[in-house]
Amino acid sequence: MIEFKAVYFNGKTSRAYPVSVVFDGGTLRIRGSEGDHPALDVHIEDCTIAPPLGGTVRSIKLPGGAQCETTDTEAVSAMEHLTGRNTGMRLVHFLESRWKTAAGALAGLVLCVWLFATYGIPFLARKAAYAVPPELTEQMSRQAIKMLDRRFLKPSELDPGRIRKLREEFQHLSREIDADFNYRLEFRKSPHIGPNAFALPSGLVIMTDELVDLAADDRELLAILAHETAHVKKRHGLRSIIQNSGVFLLISLLAGDITSITSAAASLPALLAQSGYSRKFETEADRVAALYMIRKGWGTKPFQAILLRITRDMADYPGESLLASHPLTDQRVRHLREIEASMPEAE
Amino acid sequence: MTYLVCRNCGFSASERDVEDGLAVCPECNVDLKAEHPRGRDDTCRDAPFSRQEIPLRSAPRRIKPVFAGSAGEYFRIWIVNTFLMILTLGLYAPWAKVRERRFFYRHTVVDGRTFDYTAPPVAILKGYLIVGGGISLYYLAKVYNPLYSLLVFGIFSLVLPFLIYKSLRFFARHSAYRNIPFHFRGTVGESYRTYLLYPLLIPFTLGLIIPYWAFRRKKYFFGNIAFGTTANIFKGSARQFYKLYGIVAVMLTGVVVLFTVMILSFAPLIVTPEDVTFNTAMIFFFFAVYFTSLVVPAFIQQYIYAWTTNYCWGHSGLGNVRFQSTLKAGRLFWIRITNILAIIFSVGLLIPWAKVRRIRYIVDNVTVIADQGLDDFTAGLRPDESAYGDAATDFFDIEIGL
Repeated sequence: MIEFKAVYFNGKTSRAYPVSVVFDGGTLRIRGSEGDHPALDVHIEDCTIAPPLGGTVRSIKLPGGAQCETTDTEAVSAMEHLTGRNTGMRLVHFLESRWKTAAGALAGLVLCVWLFATYGIPFLARKAAYAVPPELTEQMSRQAIKMLDRRFLKPSELDPGRIRKLREEFQHLSREIDADFNYRLEFRKSPHIGPNAFALPSGLVIMTDELVDLAADDRELLAILAHETAHVKKRHGLRSIIQNSGVFLLISLLAGDITSITSAAASLPALLAQSGYSRKFETEADRVAALYMIRKGWGTKPFQAILLRITRDMADYPGESLLASHPLTDQRVRHLREIEASMPEAE
Repeated sequence: MTYLVCRNCGFSASERDVEDGLAVCPECNVDLKAEHPRGRDDTCRDAPFSRQEIPLRSAPRRIKPVFAGSAGEYFRIWIVNTFLMILTLGLYAPWAKVRERRFFYRHTVVDGRTFDYTAPPVAILKGYLIVGGGISLYYLAKVYNPLYSLLVFGIFSLVLPFLIYKSLRFFARHSAYRNIPFHFRGTVGESYRTYLLYPLLIPFTLGLIIPYWAFRRKKYFFGNIAFGTTANIFKGSARQFYKLYGIVAVMLTGVVVLFTVMILSFAPLIVTPEDVTFNTAMIFFFFAVYFTSLVVPAFIQQYIYAWTTNYCWGHSGLGNVRFQSTLKAGRLFWIRITNILAIIFSVGLLIPWAKVRRIRYIVDNVTVIADQGLDDFTAGLRPDESAYGDAATDFFDIEIGL
């Protein structure tokens, strides 16, 4: 037998009737404590108990739109317990009512966000990137190159014979690294970006005249091209687009209502996460290129040489920061040496 | 005080309201200054809703609403909400939304009774999925071809007024006080006029329509909300909004003048490079500019919020109940700035505290003025509303005026 004081609203007017309620396990007996109204017996099966929330009043929806409200939270939770109502929300309420569980939720939250950002988002992005249809990557890349041509790139001024030779070598190389994709190599002059090369998701690789001029021999250029081919093969471009929007989504989900007022504070972690991702991709592409060079018997020396030369040369160009997502050159060179040293068959 | 009564629907306005620019009945467009029989003709067009505003007696009751929630209590709800949301990859969001809103509603006590928010989370989930799908489509289109995203944006602007209309209906339908739900009586047509037509007219009117637009947005909410069968009567006039935006324009001009003076007085210091004061002067200058560009818009925002909230509550009448709101822009601004700082320095952990603090200030500044008790409101019909509109308000943060 559960007894408690409550206030009854009939759902037709805003008037509050003080009542006393008795629950015997099956029926709620509601009796007006001042006067006769109301006097009703309702079966608990026909009632809905609103889930508990903090220290707020408990309410029970009665059939026909009436409602009882009470501050006797213990009595209502006893009723819930007895009838097995709101099990899920009672658990949530349990977590919400104690500082220890709240601290646990905070720790769990931090852990989940960390796990999700480190493993979840990259995993999902990889799955999604491989599922993107080729027509879409074609279209995207065409848009991107159109934009770059308009703003940063000029037609190449290289000798056509040189272009033909590099293209042949590149066709050979790209088929060896990734036979499934349609690779093309284009040249552009860019006083703005300087010596550089980049790959678009469709398999279009752009190399600047400045880089070709900087190279001591073709092997150095092939090292760079192997690196770019690896980016396409591993879908790095698409993955970084998807991952970055994933991070953005995660942060806006977490920050919710504060993104508008502290957008600067919110974009900082996003930026950090993104540069972390892109560093991983660069390292992965370096590794593919290094293994290819070693397999060819060329070693990673040409790759190291061109990287160091690019870094020295880069400082003179205004657009340097545009594509400066590469990890520090010293680290990359060290990484290349480590790969070569760890290979048993290397020289 | 003498009242002028609309002969069509019984709407009454004080002579002062009429002097303030309320020439016609807001509902029937009947000229209030023309013949105005004091009696009431019962041929009201909105039959189920009582549109009569009953003049108050000389000594009505003044009821102070209280916000009874605490920051600690909300922190625990908020952190568990966020955790479950991440754990379920966002699927818990509707439940979190309902619990959050419920927390604030159920802790707002008026005359010993609390508000309640009764929206079913599953309905909101459907809304989230539909609106979320639309947003994903927009971003996909943007990646695919920027031109398509413009098309999607265009379609979206066409749908938005409908979503706002639906969301206000849903929001009202699931807000209740003393087990009596609210109702939103606005029409789709008015929503399209308010949220599509007027903004489209901004460039053609050189922005002069902006105050009127702000007025119509408020009127759409305050003029159409009803508690049970009692419709709220909104007596605001666009003229007052023009005054408000005039003051804002003066403030903005003042800031521009201040900027110019700052630039002119600092320019000589910055131009002489070899000077020792060069660095400190420049740092100070940029700090001053940055600070002003951050603080001034925040103040103006709070000023507009305080003024409109006070004005709209003050010009509302719900049967024999009136409201008074006494928000101060300076105080709201102080709360805003300190809240932002607290949130940044606590890595977001003080968000619940900041929210509770602001809500408490707002609730503390509302007074309900009631002739008798609040016992005589009636409920009326209960139509069901679908939820996709509610999701729209959450995504686009449309201010609903509470």
